[in-house]
Formats: sequence, C-alpha cells, structure tokens
Amino acid sequence: MLVGGVIAGIFPFGDPVVEARPLARKAGQQVTFNRDIAPIIFHSCAICHHPGEAAPFPLLTYSDVKKHARQIAEVTRLRIMPPWLPEPQELKFADEMRLPDARIDLIQKWVEQGEAEGDPADLPPQPKFVEGWRLGTPDLILKAEKPLVLPPEGTDKYWNFIFHVPIDGTRWVKAVEIRPGDKRYVHHANILIDRTGSSRKREAEPGAGFGGMEIRIESQVFEPDSHLLFWKPGTVPYVEPEGMALGLDKGTDLILNTHLQPSGKQEIIEPSIGLYFTPHPATKLPMLLQLENDAKLDIPAGQKDFTVTDEFTLPVDVNLLAIYPHAHYLAQDIQAFATLPDRTRKTLIHISNWNLNWQAVYRYTEPVMLPKNTTVTLHYAYDNSDQNPLNPNHPPARVTGGNRSSDEMCHLWLQVLPVNFDPEQGDPRMLLQEALARHDVNNNPADFEAHYNLAAMLQARGKLEEAMQEYQAALGLQPDDPVANNGMGSALLSEGQADKAMPYLVAALKTRPDYFDAHYNLGNALASRNDFEGAAQQFRLALQSQPNDANAEANLGGALAEMGRFDEAKLHLERALQIDPHHSLARENLEELQREMKQR
Amino acid sequence: MFPHSLTAAELTAYYVKAYELMARGRSAIRASGLLAATLLVSLWLASVSQAQSAFDLAGRSVNPIAAASGKVVVLVFLRSDCPISNRYAPVIQKISAQFASDTSFWLVYPDRDESSQAVRKYVQDYGYHLPALRDPNHALVKLAQVQVTPEVAVFDRNHQLVYDGRIDNWYQDLARVRPAPTTHELADAIRAALTGKPVPKTDVRGVGCYISDLE
Repeated sequence: MLVGGVIAGIFPFGDPVVEARPLARKAGQQVTFNRDIAPIIFHSCAICHHPGEAAPFPLLTYSDVKKHARQIAEVTRLRIMPPWLPEPQELKFADEMRLPDARIDLIQKWVEQGEAEGDPADLPPQPKFVEGWRLGTPDLILKAEKPLVLPPEGTDKYWNFIFHVPIDGTRWVKAVEIRPGDKRYVHHANILIDRTGSSRKREAEPGAGFGGMEIRIESQVFEPDSHLLFWKPGTVPYVEPEGMALGLDKGTDLILNTHLQPSGKQEIIEPSIGLYFTPHPATKLPMLLQLENDAKLDIPAGQKDFTVTDEFTLPVDVNLLAIYPHAHYLAQDIQAFATLPDRTRKTLIHISNWNLNWQAVYRYTEPVMLPKNTTVTLHYAYDNSDQNPLNPNHPPARVTGGNRSSDEMCHLWLQVLPVNFDPEQGDPRMLLQEALARHDVNNNPADFEAHYNLAAMLQARGKLEEAMQEYQAALGLQPDDPVANNGMGSALLSEGQADKAMPYLVAALKTRPDYFDAHYNLGNALASRNDFEGAAQQFRLALQSQPNDANAEANLGGALAEMGRFDEAKLHLERALQIDPHHSLARENLEELQREMKQR
Repeated sequence: MFPHSLTAAELTAYYVKAYELMARGRSAIRASGLLAATLLVSLWLASVSQAQSAFDLAGRSVNPIAAASGKVVVLVFLRSDCPISNRYAPVIQKISAQFASDTSFWLVYPDRDESSQAVRKYVQDYGYHLPALRDPNHALVKLAQVQVTPEVAVFDRNHQLVYDGRIDNWYQDLARVRPAPTTHELADAIRAALTGKPVPKTDVRGVGCYISDLE
C-alpha cells in the first residue's frame, strides 16, 4: 500500500538516530567499528552496498567492511565515495550524500589503528531495506518490450527503451520508480515523455528500442515538460505532494534513456517502470526551463580551460524546486548562480570536478524563491587537452556542441513553479516559455528552430506582428519549411489578410501535400474571398488526412451551404455535431441552414 | 633471493637449534654440524617452494613459476567483487591469446574468502580459458609485490620478476576511465621479457581494489 512520505521500515536518508550520535571523543580513545564506523557505513554506504543494488559488494557487517577497509579509507578521503558531486553550499539539497570531514577522519583513524571491532553493545541495528518496489506494488508496471544485450566490452553505451502506457484516459502520476534492470551496469537513466509517438519511428523494429545519448522529442506547441524523472544508484523514488502530480494522456509513450557500461561479460538489461496514480489532478503546474548555450561550444583541440557562460532573466516570480546540470566528458567546473533584483547572489549549484558518470538531478530541501527579474547565470569550464583522461579523442580534436558522446553540451535544467501570479492574466508558463524562446533566438540567431519556436509562442499569445517577423526570419533560413510557411499564413489570416496569406499556405502544401493545418487554413482564406468552391475542396483535402475533425466538417458544411448545395451541407454540419456535440458554429450554421431550406 | 616468509627471527631460531645440538655432545660436533646444515638447507628449500605455492581449484599445491619451462610467466591477480578486474577480462584474454605460444598465463585469486567453487564459476562466467589459482596465503602476492586487483607480474625465462604493476593506463583513477588505454605496460613487458631485453621501468601501480589482509 502506498503511503505518502516515508514508510516505517524503509531505511531513509538522514537517519535521526545516527545524526544524534556525538562525534566528540576523548583524545586517544580507540576508534571502533561498532561504535564509530558502523553508523557512518549504515547511513552513507549501505543504501547501495547491499545485495541487489548498484555496488559490487555489500557493506553491512564488520567482516564486510574490514575486507575493504583500506579501499574505503582511500575512496572516502578522495571523495570518490559516496558519489556526490556538488560542493557544500547554503542552499541545501535533499538526500545529500556528502560525508562530513569529521567522519572521513574517523574512517582514516580506524584503519590506521588497526580496524578494531569494538564492543558488540555499541553496534547499531543493521539498516533494513525494502525488497522490490520501494513504494509498494505500483498501480501500473511497465516492462521493456525487448531487453538489451550489453556486450562484454566497448565504450559506454547509450540505449533508449520505449514503454507504451496502457491508459484509456488522462491519469495523474504522483510517483515513478525506475528499475533500470541490473543496477550494477546502468550508470543512470531518465524518462522523457513522448506524447505523439514520434520516437517509435526510430526503432529498427517495433519494441527493439534505439541508441543515442541525447534524444529530442517532437512536441506540440505548448506542452512543456514539468518533472525531472531520473535514476542514479541510490535514488529513492520521490512522491510528489498533492497538487503536483504529472498528467499522462492516452497514447503517451515513456522513453527510458539509459547510460550503460560494459562489465567484462555479456549482460542482459531489462528495465521496468512503476507508476503510482493519484485521483487528485495537478493544481500547480511546475515547468522545466532548459538553459543552454551549445552554440558557444567550439573548443579547440588541446585547450585546457574553455569557458561558456549564459544568462537568463526570469519574467515572473518562481520557486526553484530542482536543478539538473548536464555536460559531457570535457566539462570540469560547473556553476550556476542567481542574482536577485536586490543584488544578492545565491549559488544554485557548484561542481568543481564534473564526472558524467555521477550526473544527477538535485532537489532543494526548500524551494528557492527567485523573484521576477532574477538573473540566472551559468558558467561551465571545459578541458579539451590530453591531460583530461576522459577526453573522447586521443589525440584531442576540435569539439563542438551536439548529441554524440564525442560532442559537448552546456545545459542547465531548472524545475520551477511559478508563484504569485493572477490566473486571470494567463498562464505564467507561457511567459516563461516566451522569454526562453527569445533567449534562444539571441543565443542562436542563425537557428531556424529558435526563430520558429518564438514565432509560434508569440502567435499563441496573440502578438501577431512580432510573430510574423519571427516567421519571416525562420523562412529566411529555410524557405521551404512547411510548418513555418503555414504559421506565417495563419498569422496573416488572423489579421484578415487572406490575399497575403495564400502564397504561404500554398508553399506549405507544395512541400507537404497532406498537411491538415495548411489545407484548413487555405480553405478559410478562400472562403473569406468568397471562393467557396475552392474552400470546399481544401476542406475535403484536410479531412482526407485527418478524418474526424469537427472544425473541418463544419467549415465544409458552411462552404457547401454558400454554394447552395444544401443537402450536402446539412450532411457535413450534422457530422460535425456528431464528432463534437458542443460545436457552436456547426449548430448555428445548421439552424440557419434549416431555416433557409424551409423557406425554399 | 630469500623468500619473504622466512624471517630473520626464524633463521636465528634455526641457528640456535643447531648450536644447541652441537653443544650437547662435542663428539658429535661434525655430524651435528652437517645435520644442522642439511636441516637448514632443506628447511629453506621447503619454505621456498611453499612460499611460491598457491593452489589449483582441486586444492593441489602449484608453483606456477617453477612449473614454467623456459616460458615467460604472467600472473594476473583478480578478485570477483572488483568491477575493474571484471572489465579487464576481454583485455586479458586478448593478450594471453596474442602471446600464447611463449607465455604461461595464470589467473590468481588472492582473496581468502573466495572458494574454489566461486573461482570456477567466475572463470566460466567471464569466458576465460586460462588456469586459475587461489592464493590465500598470499605467497604469490608477496612474490609479485602486488597490492591491488587487477595487477600483473611478469617473470622472465629465468624465473626473475621483471615487471609488476598495471596492465595498461585504461583507468586513470577509480572515478575516471579513458575511452581506451594509451599505454600498454603488460604487453610491453611481455615482449621485452620474451626477447630478453630489459623491461621498461615504471612505478605506476594498478587502479582497482586493494587486496584484503595485505601484510
């Protein structure tokens, strides 16, 4: 049974019993496992170092720990273990795995003094771990259609599994558990939501999955991602508070993007995902802001200290909930900070020894209030010299931004929740999206998509003049693009300029003959010029590519009525109402038509 | 070269014993002396062979150095709970195949808690076709002067240790691994040993998991 928060019996991070134990001791007192070391190991190591988890050996007993004592002393001293990249900072992260200096010292002393076991009475109880799904049986379990066979050797492998979500309508997800398969060989995994089934086209055969380190999902105009669904060793699934559930619609696919490392023998990787539903729909709508400046990534071969910065100013008040920096193998020092309107500065994250293997999503213990006009700055430093052992190129080569592991990236994801807004004034996420789209155009003036996305955003917000400027800019870069041509045409049409709209719509259809939107828009353009025969033809073509569209049926009915073909018109208007009983235009036109037909 | 396990204290004990024997009866001095000397030598020989001994998976005592007749001997120290040792399996297989005709490769498991059965399973899982030894007394560990798995030791045709250390520089440290190694110390050492050339000197140790209970 799923209970919100921590279930008794699950071993949580931040065990209060361990935290309360005093670390002060008399000078010269011997460090013992039972009294001093076991609490540290149980709190910070056992979560991964127990059977079935990511670590190669357990650390649950004195004998376990003594066997690896010298190793433990070294990896903790070098802060290789526990894996925790961020520097300590004022804004604290949940589930922080960083070992305090005092505990590292204790471990060193224990080994120096000969690894004494100590008094059995001092030993705390061994942590208990939940077997199987950590939050209990999920409401819906999704299994990979085909497992991946990971070969014995080779460089890191990136593989994407597609999970179809068999739901009949919109469901609200309050928690997701990612079970990557064998945790010893999966370095990390994250879920992307594909609402249009576009990723399936990338599979060689259905269910096979597909390769690729970074994947982009084609999305509809305004459906911003809202949650960071991520797994790394030690991740405990997070239960969203009420009102913050993730909505999944019918027909959605979840793409599990995994980073794998060959183990020396063949392994079978068979992930699954557990979904936990809530009846409470989302009342708060968080949003993922992606800051990136890949355009600036052109790192000469051998350059040791190449930096990229970027700045973004928030157009609304937000609470910052989580942060996810991302780069590839050359990044070294990653920093992000916020400068508030009152000039105070907050470090959002600082990683001084970036390691792609240990990338993670970091959730703040308390949401960070960032008022409108706060500037978020990112500052990433890269090492493309031969002294960087992780350099994918040997000898070093020029590296630019891109999706492959040999490319580089400069990304920062922020999960934000707009606050202090008036819902009457519109969706604050659209303001954020527009600001991001403008920012993207500023950073990438020669990028077609940046201009197109901004144009679409502006059009959605009713800023038609500006939208058309951006469509023009996009078309300047790719004159034949059907979507940009259609966008420009529809914007002109909205302004009542049917004559000017038509060439663009015709151009869109030249490149993509079965483009529903362009046929529909062209139909409307022709109708507004009283060319009802032409309009009817366009609406028919539109319906060929998308049969069950109430608008197209209604408009076809209207055009036929204007041509005096009343019986046909009635047919289509009725069909429109069949598809959508609330279609007011169809109803009005049908009533009008029926009056007209009575008169004749 | 004295085997490491015969300490100075033990040697002194033997000399003291010999002296006591001599002191008991002057008439038997010569005989005792000879006996003592023989005793010492045979004890030394026994401890040498025991010190260089590990055990095959049937529990029999095996000396991989002595067993080699004119071949270069390579000992590869591994442990089954070491992911770096595991990742090296294809590499070790390739190198052993490359030099198969003139070298004798042995997989050596120094961890006291690894049973013959566990080692047998490991060898099978990782597709090895090399003989495996358990070394719970760390006889070979001490001989080879290794501290970490995976590390290797190369003995030339005269049974001299000519290289001990890492296989290559694939791992920079426990947190960072190269896309591919750029140095190949084991292969270089084998080639040098086969042709009787001096092996390039290097102090670089392996990156991996410390052998437990090292003395």
